[in-house]
Amino acid sequence: MLTDIQEGKTLNPVVKHVTQEKINLYAEASGDFNPIHIDESFAVKTPLGGTIAHGMLNLAYVSEMMTSAFGRSWLSGGKLRARFKEPARPGDTVTINGKIDCVEQEDGISYANCSFECRNQKGETLVAGEAIVKVSSDKR
Amino acid sequence: MPDKTISYEELAPGYKFPAATYELSASLVSKYLKAVDSSGDGFVPPLAITALAIATMAGSIPLPSGTVAIHASQELEFFKLVPIGTTIECHTGVARKIARGKMSMLILELEVFDQGKEKVQSGKATIALLT
Repeated sequence: MLTDIQEGKTLNPVVKHVTQEKINLYAEASGDFNPIHIDESFAVKTPLGGTIAHGMLNLAYVSEMMTSAFGRSWLSGGKLRARFKEPARPGDTVTINGKIDCVEQEDGISYANCSFECRNQKGETLVAGEAIVKVSSDKR
Repeated sequence: MPDKTISYEELAPGYKFPAATYELSASLVSKYLKAVDSSGDGFVPPLAITALAIATMAGSIPLPSGTVAIHASQELEFFKLVPIGTTIECHTGVARKIARGKMSMLILELEVFDQGKEKVQSGKATIALLT
């Protein structure tokens, strides 16, 4: 976990390789069998041109980064807002980066306001968003 | 499964999908962690819970024929740690419905409670429907 929570601090990035096998596993684990994720013959006929990863799979990687940085504070008091800009596709390597934009106090409690991005190997932004975590030392 | 009792046209803000209950068993969590390529830390990953709630909603939406549903944005708030073995109840519904030319958007809301009726997480999902 982060030991010095201060403005500008970058979070340890998370890097994942997306495969159709992982997308299929995610479909089974989540129960989301939308054919755009798992049926290539269906997906190729849509405007997306092929299967794509679930947006929630990318968001799971974001949550992994936040959990690694903030531990239980994230799991029991985190907030996030994410926009899915482009889909991750089988074969992509995605990198999640984040940083603490500012630390604010409210009613004696400190909150870390973070921003995050998920990019593919071409540098395209797939997901962008913000997250807030309660970081009072007595709560960690 | 889609809710056969209502058509997409009839789906209006305020509509509530049937609640769904899940036991967050060790095997379910293990399957999720394998899928997201993560090791876990003894608690249920909050996004595993969200994924189940969203799949429940997505599977209940009576999509118009030839439509592709894409997740456009997500808001979430987590309220408590969820131990493995917890049973959760997912409550989902329609917050807004937007139509712009060939694209429609559904803004869906979710609330998840544990067996003690304590709120575990809440959020909003925006789903774009492409034709």
